[in-house]
Amino acid sequence: MKLSKYTKFRAEKFGAVLFETRSEKVFTLNPTAAAVVSEIGSGADERGVIERLKSRFEDQDGAIERQAIEFIAELRQKGLIED
Amino acid sequence: MSGETSAAVATGSGDLGAPLYVAWQLTNECNLACLHCIEESGPGKAFRDELGAPETLRIVDQLAAQGVPYLSLSGGEPMVHPAFFELVERVCAAGIELKIETNGHFLEPANCERLQRLGVKAVQVSLDGASRETYNRMRVRGDFDRAVGGIRALAAAGVPIEINYSPTRFNAHEIGAAIDLAAELGAYSFYTGRTMYTGNAVKTWRAIVPQEEQYASFFAVLRAKSTEYRGRMRVYFHELGLLEELRYRLRHPAALLIVLPNGLVKLINALPFVCGDLRKESLEEVWARFQRAWHDPRVTQFVEDLAGDPRKTAALHQWVYLQ
Repeated sequence: MKLSKYTKFRAEKFGAVLFETRSEKVFTLNPTAAAVVSEIGSGADERGVIERLKSRFEDQDGAIERQAIEFIAELRQKGLIED
Repeated sequence: MSGETSAAVATGSGDLGAPLYVAWQLTNECNLACLHCIEESGPGKAFRDELGAPETLRIVDQLAAQGVPYLSLSGGEPMVHPAFFELVERVCAAGIELKIETNGHFLEPANCERLQRLGVKAVQVSLDGASRETYNRMRVRGDFDRAVGGIRALAAAGVPIEINYSPTRFNAHEIGAAIDLAAELGAYSFYTGRTMYTGNAVKTWRAIVPQEEQYASFFAVLRAKSTEYRGRMRVYFHELGLLEELRYRLRHPAALLIVLPNGLVKLINALPFVCGDLRKESLEEVWARFQRAWHDPRVTQFVEDLAGDPRKTAALHQWVYLQ
């Protein structure tokens, strides 16, 4: 899994931005979403990304895992990431 | 987890650490002398104090260091700048997505192949007409066949293509055919909007400004074509007049810097205000000035004065320095 060809990621104080440069659309990300995209940028597969986030955020009730799965699906649906 | 800010990089620019988009008018020199040119560009119109190659490369390095993801090079005609390819190479090597906005007259196959190898994101070609007659009338010294040939060379080289179209009294009726031509040439995006009363257009306005009923037909065709080409080519158009656009920008400044050929930085193309100088100041300093400048009462006043006098845009090239 990786960011799609025309998608750029930049960390910001509030989290991050994703900029899809073909459509010139900007997506603002909160810190958790920024962490997801940052892990995707490291080149891990979806399961690997989720495991690392669970560990990083001490996900005891599964909330982080659920949010990450939903968010990754949203990124995929918007064409911001590709497998 | 996320929010889409959408279109034209309009985001809460005050929250961002650096611009998301830099639109750089690399030179005011141009091989054409278009009737509608908003920049007063043309042959022999280069500014006397344009940035030299070392200065332009230094600015690119700053953009890369600050994480600016997206840059466009325009003019004048950017491809006449002596350091054009050196600059393109530096930008692409830095991982910045690059769009080149050109009149298409220097898109020989070898240049297109070079742009493809360097990895430009897109080349936007101005094609204001679907026929030789209208295009050549509007783009003085321009040649429709050469521009179309350039676009075909881009397609052959595999460079993503965008088309830009400026409407006037004598080409507005060709909008539908121009969109069809853009699609046939392989463009993935088509841009248009109202022609502005500034630059060369001030002198030619009476001859070029479309009548309101022409604009009505023009936008009706655009709406239909936008639907027709959905999923194949994006048809972008701005129906808003300039005043509405500027009022929106006062509330939502785009995270976009306009860099002039001499390194001065404007707030937005449609305002005369200069908020920094990349020849003398760092990008970081200019970005901070940009944030403050949008709150300057002179900016708000200028926009409101436009409501009473739309012809104030004739003075956009008489820069007003905001300290």
